[in-house]
Amino acid sequence: MSSFALTAYVLIWPVLATMVLTVLCIGLVRDIRTARRTGND
Amino acid sequence: MFQLSTTTVVLLLFGFYGLTFLMALRIGAKKENVDGYMVANGAIGFGMSAASMTATWIWAASFYAAASSGYKYGLSGALHYGFWGALMILFIYPFGKRFRELAPQAHTLAEIMHARHGRSSQMILAGSNIVGSIISLMVNFTAAGALVAVLSPLSFIHGVLIAGFGVLSYTLWSGFRSSVMTDFGQLMAMILAAVIIIPMIFFTLGGPQLFTEGMPRLNLEQASFFSKTAFLEQGAPFFVAVLAYAIGNQTIAQRLFAVREDLIKPTFITATVGYGAIVIGLGMLGFLALLAGVQPMDGDLNNLIPQMAATYLPPFAVGLLFIMVIGSLSSTADSDLAALSALVMTDIYGKNLARGRPNPTTMLWVGRLTMITATLIGVIFASMKLDILSMLIFVGALWGAIVFPVIASLFWNRVTNTAFTSAVAVAFLMFVVTRFELVSLHGAMALFFELLATLGGGVVIGLMAFGFFGRTAGLALGIVATLVLAPFAIGHLRDYAVLLSSLTAYGASAVVCTGVSLLSNERFDFERIGERVVAFQHSDNNESNPEEKEINACPVSL
Repeated sequence: MSSFALTAYVLIWPVLATMVLTVLCIGLVRDIRTARRTGND
Repeated sequence: MFQLSTTTVVLLLFGFYGLTFLMALRIGAKKENVDGYMVANGAIGFGMSAASMTATWIWAASFYAAASSGYKYGLSGALHYGFWGALMILFIYPFGKRFRELAPQAHTLAEIMHARHGRSSQMILAGSNIVGSIISLMVNFTAAGALVAVLSPLSFIHGVLIAGFGVLSYTLWSGFRSSVMTDFGQLMAMILAAVIIIPMIFFTLGGPQLFTEGMPRLNLEQASFFSKTAFLEQGAPFFVAVLAYAIGNQTIAQRLFAVREDLIKPTFITATVGYGAIVIGLGMLGFLALLAGVQPMDGDLNNLIPQMAATYLPPFAVGLLFIMVIGSLSSTADSDLAALSALVMTDIYGKNLARGRPNPTTMLWVGRLTMITATLIGVIFASMKLDILSMLIFVGALWGAIVFPVIASLFWNRVTNTAFTSAVAVAFLMFVVTRFELVSLHGAMALFFELLATLGGGVVIGLMAFGFFGRTAGLALGIVATLVLAPFAIGHLRDYAVLLSSLTAYGASAVVCTGVSLLSNERFDFERIGERVVAFQHSDNNESNPEEKEINACPVSL
């Protein structure tokens, strides 16, 4: 494997974790909006 | 090695637990609902539940073990820890949808077993869940002590005590609801720390240049992405345990019962990706240490991550790592406390002592007393510095004995209580015999266990396929897997006692459970599970009296 491929292999995981964090934050905002709209906890 | 000052560590710990406590206070109600205490409102949204599942499944041992695997097995090492660990979350969700369909108001999986089979099957499952959660609690408190001892002048016992009572303080009042509420913040802290620490260490070590200089240090197996050693020693035993850990762990079941039913799939898929990314990413630190020629302190691979941080990171990043590990162990420990309280409230008090007619107030205090007792046990045993992680790995392998009987019971109407209990008992016995080599694994005896283990391998693959693709695909893939595994297993598996014993547990439980069930003519009506598993408290204090909640939002104001 080339140095470039190995670098990508090491650094892809924090990038993926950042994407998951973004999805979770969007999910949380939607959860809050739904809770406010329906009046449920 | 660099250490944080006592003042810094105390500020970080009290800051972390103080903020977490304040988060938990926001949802505290004067009179908690017992069902809410165990499974929240049963309709938690995607963001909260996916974050909670991810944070719960990531514990301190995930980081240390993934890095150890990366250091020991090289290129594929971290993958063989994180990937299979992530699949534990993924492969349980199809079965979770079935649990919810059968018993929408369930609190524990053992409670469903009580409705399906009766007390003995229920207590087998509840007992194994309780043992698993108590051991997990000890591991997390031990990790807190070890982290504080390595990265600060404070002692091991200081770390254990602060973590134990910190976690208890914010979980005690609202139970599972506190656990889910605080998981989101804890996961954010973990991800942000990981995203900063991994690239920082990589570039401090020289970036891409590290591969040019470091790859010659690796042996052939470590340099191979498809290392046979890594798969057989790390990947395969973990792969076999995928369903066992998921079924044997009440923290997963609790989230399956708590998330909004139509959100089970996206929640668990997101948690799978999140867990994999964080754990494999931190496991890469072990691989980088191997490339850089780092020698683990005192020869202990568990020291790799703190050692790498202390050697290559500036003080603020060491503080970030400290918070990341504390966040990971706290989010799992609070889930273990919530799981233990639900198991004792439902399966010991609710279904047995109170015979299905529990007093909600008493039940709530049973849950809180369980948390206090479990924390004390966890702190005391963690202080003894036993090799608890090995104990958990042993118990995890043992859970293989209950996987087939539990899943079969919820899909096949012919499984009887006798079939369930006898299957678990025989599989447990077979597991112990092979794991500790109580009989000589040679000749016909070795062949017998290898055949059983080969069948066990087919059962594992078959169950996984069954969850996603149904009965025909499950049976077909199970048979194909058995036939493919046979030439590799027979004559060879006797040299891998850990793998042999785990697979034997699956094979033995499947054979006995199926055989005994076929001897009976009983047919179970699955509709009865939903009728028997109901909420313990019908009036919801949180909804029926919102003014009271508003006035008494803080439990310490009572």
